[in-house]
Amino acid sequence: MRIIGWVVLAAVAMATGGPLSAAQNGPLPPMKFNAKKAALGKRLFFDERISGDASMSCATCHKPAKGFADGKPLSDAYPGTKGFRNTPTLINTAYKEVWFHDGRIGTNLNDVTRDQITETIWMNMDMRIMQERLKQDPVYVRMFKEAGFGEPSNGSVRKAIPEYLKSLTSKNVPFDKGRMSAAAKRGRALFTGKAGCVRCHSGPLFSDGKAHNLGVPENPAIFKEPLRHVAFIAFGKWMGIENHMNLRRDPGASVRTNQKRDMGKFITPTLRELKHTAPYMHNGTLPTLASVVNFYNRGGGKDANKDPLLKPLRLSGKQRADLAAFLEALSGDPLTGSAYVLKGKIDLKYKPIPDWWNARN
Amino acid sequence: MRTIECLTRIGIAPALALVASLALTLTLGAPAAFGEADPDPDPPLAALGDPPIPPDNKQSPAKVALGRLLFFDTRISGDASIACSDCHNPKDGWADPGEVSRGYPGTIHWRNSQSVINSAYLGKLFWAGSSKSLEGQARGAARGGVAGNGEGDVMEARLALIPEYRKRFRTVFGDEWPKIRNVWRAIAAYERTLIHKNTPFDRYMRGDKKALNAQQRRGLKLYRGKAGCIECHNGALLSDQKYYNLGVPRHEGWAEDGLKQITFRFELYAKGVSEELYRTTKDDLGLYFRSKERRDMGKFRTPMLRYTNFTAPYMHNGAFFTLEEVVDFYDEGGGANNFGTKTRILKPLGLSDEEKEDLVAFLEALSGEEITIQTPLLPEYAPLGKP
Repeated sequence: MRIIGWVVLAAVAMATGGPLSAAQNGPLPPMKFNAKKAALGKRLFFDERISGDASMSCATCHKPAKGFADGKPLSDAYPGTKGFRNTPTLINTAYKEVWFHDGRIGTNLNDVTRDQITETIWMNMDMRIMQERLKQDPVYVRMFKEAGFGEPSNGSVRKAIPEYLKSLTSKNVPFDKGRMSAAAKRGRALFTGKAGCVRCHSGPLFSDGKAHNLGVPENPAIFKEPLRHVAFIAFGKWMGIENHMNLRRDPGASVRTNQKRDMGKFITPTLRELKHTAPYMHNGTLPTLASVVNFYNRGGGKDANKDPLLKPLRLSGKQRADLAAFLEALSGDPLTGSAYVLKGKIDLKYKPIPDWWNARN
Repeated sequence: MRTIECLTRIGIAPALALVASLALTLTLGAPAAFGEADPDPDPPLAALGDPPIPPDNKQSPAKVALGRLLFFDTRISGDASIACSDCHNPKDGWADPGEVSRGYPGTIHWRNSQSVINSAYLGKLFWAGSSKSLEGQARGAARGGVAGNGEGDVMEARLALIPEYRKRFRTVFGDEWPKIRNVWRAIAAYERTLIHKNTPFDRYMRGDKKALNAQQRRGLKLYRGKAGCIECHNGALLSDQKYYNLGVPRHEGWAEDGLKQITFRFELYAKGVSEELYRTTKDDLGLYFRSKERRDMGKFRTPMLRYTNFTAPYMHNGAFFTLEEVVDFYDEGGGANNFGTKTRILKPLGLSDEEKEDLVAFLEALSGEEITIQTPLLPEYAPLGKP
């Protein structure tokens, strides 16, 4: 009920279109989830057997100790390829309405889960093989049943993992708890005032869920490292980008519209948990929070289609430090406890099914 | 009657087969033991000629050289760890020494890997003939979930980042960027050079009567006569390319290995069977997966017999590790399985131990020198640079 209320509020805010007030940067509403389904999703999340060659799990790139990101400028990818964007955090991802830096999925986490597991540059998993792997593990057979899913199936995986993701929400955030330092409080005033951050980083997620062009420079590693360029080319082909073989910049949100004016636009990321998720921006080119603040203070980067909202801010050194203090106050406890992280090793070996010749498959 | 059928067949056969057939009809045209039971004409044995070359994929030295590189290149797979040559290893008879092939990492395959040697002659690739050409076979194997698990766009993108391949694909195919369908064409062209046709048997059939010793000649007589091998293993290929259920025993590994059980169910799932068959099937349905006709359950395409000295184990599931075991199996009239589709051609043969040895000696004369090559050095990735 409260979630619905929040969605309505967000819709109203978007409809009014104007700069959002600081009040709208409130705490996130509680996220309800089914504990048994989430427990199943958690095991799946940490299980390398849900990738094609059983070499990587979701947690390979979404590491709990790194705020469910990976701490690298550009992500890893399925062996034989490498990523061309920064791994986004999964904390609070269940509150989002569009996913990926280019916003190319705007439906639900079920679809996002499918995309990540099956796409050949991410986990390259034939879900039919995945299903049969799960059916071979008695622990999964029991957990799927207990979660109310019946026997292990692809569809249930796509429900269970999002259920687990609902459990990954900010905990003990100074901003939410009203326990901010004086510097952070001053930073908040800058955030909503002189620095104007709130114009895009609005709402409880500190994101308007829209795409903007900040003039972030390209990350040259994408085109210097062949395996990243491989993934970039394959992605460009899938997205139907014209002349993708000769493209040397990230198309960003233009993959949704095929409009040149959307080149270089990326979805406003949440600011929550950023303490744990450096480096920053869609391509990880800004290594620290201070470098991000400096980037905005300069009025962003250079691009013909840069968002006109970005102007030099003329913040003093102290103001920049205050702003950074506020941003840090948006991060809570690391989600590294057993509630969030699968403890103990999964037995990756598959035991034969007893009495195979007579057992029903 | 047989003669008429035989002539009709000759009318549509390639010229090479025609010449060979006529020569053999004149000299060696003895009827086979099971002629009455088997309505099929049995094309006579013959020396192997040159493989057919499809008109839309002509051979050229540059294309063959490119195909050779690609055959050994692991980047033609999902995780860039496994090449054609991993399951078709020149050191293992251009096949895989396991009962079922090793398969993609994290999986295991479910059928015995067949040798690439002489595959150029086959019109039906894979054990159930699911591909009609080497080009199609290469594509299927590189993409299959328990084989190469590669995806065309990613494999193509990898090739674009390898300057040597860009150059070669441009030269051979005129590609601006390497095209994945030309990968299959180049690999097929290379495979059409992996030919084994100078065996003692072939030399014998070409007129060198000393090419087979007395024991092998006795084996040949059994092959044509009492043992009835020629019923299916006939013509120049020593295969009629038809499908039979021999009652090959089911693979015991299905019951013993969890990874194999996963693959087994995946194949039932992926190839599309009814819920009831998915739940209850425990043995490879073979040709049924393609035809969905119950009469085709457990049937597999007759394999060729050349180069078998190097390609153990034998049968679609690697049930037998030696040619002696294979001969024993046929001597007993084949095996039994639950499909109810076993061929009536198979009957106990009543071979003596000496006859079995003779037959094995002949089968061994179907292999000549082992085909070995040096593994090629593969070209490296390099950044594309500015367009």
